[in-house]
Amino acid sequence: MNERIKSLYKSHIMANARDESQVGAFSEATHVLEAYNPMCGDQYTLYLELNGTKVVRAGFEGYGCAISKASTVVLTRNLEGKTLEKIKPLVELFFELVDENSQKSPESLTQDKDLLAFAAAREFPERKQCATLSWGELRQIYES
Amino acid sequence: MFDPKIIKAKFPIFKEKTPLGQDLVYLDNAATCHKPQSVIDAITDYYARGYGTVGRASYWPASNTSRKFDQVRKQVQELVNATHKEEVVFTFGTTDGINKLANAFLRPRIRVGDQVIISEMEHHANLLPWQQVCHEVGAELLVIPMFESGALDYSSLKTMINDRVKLVAVTAISNALGVKNDVRQITEIAHTCDVPVLVDAAQSLAHEPMDVQALDCDFMVFSGHKLYGPTGVGVLYGKRKWLDQMPPFSLGGGIVKEVKFEKSSFQESPHKHEAGTPNIAGVLGLGAAISFVQSVGYDQIKGHTEALTQYVAAELEKLEGVRVIGSNENRAPAISFVMEGVHPHDMSTFLNEKGICIRAGHHCAQPLMQKLNLPGTARISFAVYNTEEDVDTLIETLKETKDFLF
Repeated sequence: MNERIKSLYKSHIMANARDESQVGAFSEATHVLEAYNPMCGDQYTLYLELNGTKVVRAGFEGYGCAISKASTVVLTRNLEGKTLEKIKPLVELFFELVDENSQKSPESLTQDKDLLAFAAAREFPERKQCATLSWGELRQIYES
Repeated sequence: MFDPKIIKAKFPIFKEKTPLGQDLVYLDNAATCHKPQSVIDAITDYYARGYGTVGRASYWPASNTSRKFDQVRKQVQELVNATHKEEVVFTFGTTDGINKLANAFLRPRIRVGDQVIISEMEHHANLLPWQQVCHEVGAELLVIPMFESGALDYSSLKTMINDRVKLVAVTAISNALGVKNDVRQITEIAHTCDVPVLVDAAQSLAHEPMDVQALDCDFMVFSGHKLYGPTGVGVLYGKRKWLDQMPPFSLGGGIVKEVKFEKSSFQESPHKHEAGTPNIAGVLGLGAAISFVQSVGYDQIKGHTEALTQYVAAELEKLEGVRVIGSNENRAPAISFVMEGVHPHDMSTFLNEKGICIRAGHHCAQPLMQKLNLPGTARISFAVYNTEEDVDTLIETLKETKDFLF
């Protein structure tokens, strides 16, 4: 792990994993998704309230490692206020960010440090599934 | 004089450095063990200097291979103290052995309303095959409960055992927690109703002898790769009366007396249960692994690895926020723990950065984790090549882990 990414891991992933601001179910949710990794038991229920194609509120409940929890926090925070058309490229960007086979440097993909920190997963392919657990589940929304 | 560093020098992997240039501290031996040079040599010698099939060719080098293959069967017989060499069937591993028994032993003799007993701590491999057969025929899968200490509730087993039970299948050592079970007591209870007992010895034979006659088990299964041997080879021990009664585990070449389109007849055990060309290199490697274990001696191995386990248990308990799962009494060389506020996978990734290999997760024992109300644990497990320095490196790094991940 390069020192910059390592530093981001420590500062941003750990901070986001402790962030409780997106945690909680809400009855107005129009979509409820289950993100579950049977290999490790990490499990998040994602709650989305859509008005048309716009996500007006996103939250989650569940349990997992620092990487999966931080990525779920960052995901739900990034969804709010965006339309599905805007969300799709963001999700694809995230998958490329954590892809160790990508030809693009993490910094060329985004300058958002909350997102950039997950490029650490390029160094740990076995943790990629932690980073993408909730993001992969979200793909179902715009693919359907 | 036993010296783990001399032992470690026999394992070429430890001459390698990690990608970050560190020495390898390998503490995931319950998953799989590294191989001494003698095992690697046995496999390469076979392919390079004596390759041939077994059992059915009357030319060199096949005849020589057959003789060596048969010698390993004899070695296994002596290792587990089987009465007959023919009670040793080679499989592709513990999971394969259990699945074969589920299909060839349990399935033909179980009916609706019958029962199979396992324990609460079983690996999925000693749960799913039995569950599947029970579901198919309408039989019931019963579970021996476990106390918080990790000990099984043997008095419950006494109340559960009855004539409708067709099999008791239990592990000798919990792969997830490292606690040892009293196999002898289990066979005594089961045999009061003539119920056969299968022992999953996957975690046992790298650490301590398993005497099938003293334990009076009906079946025992284990894998080569957890015993310093190769992957893809294992052993199913079965009392001769059972192996003879059972239909072949699978059908194909090498198991027959006579084949006709109308009907065929089969050889005696163990050949009737070993259809197809076996994993010959694996079996020869297993033979070398058994020789390695015997050259060191179980007394030395057990003494050393259990001392390391007690040492790490004491050190873990000194760390703030660390909780060891299960009692340290009667513990095999494996220990599971959780660190408050640190997910096991985060811990494992951090330790990996320092060249330390531990296992994080549910250890293929999800029902046990549900019982413990844990999503997973971190597990350390020792082999004969581990040293006190390995433990010291681990403990120092765990202290850093807390600093990094908090």
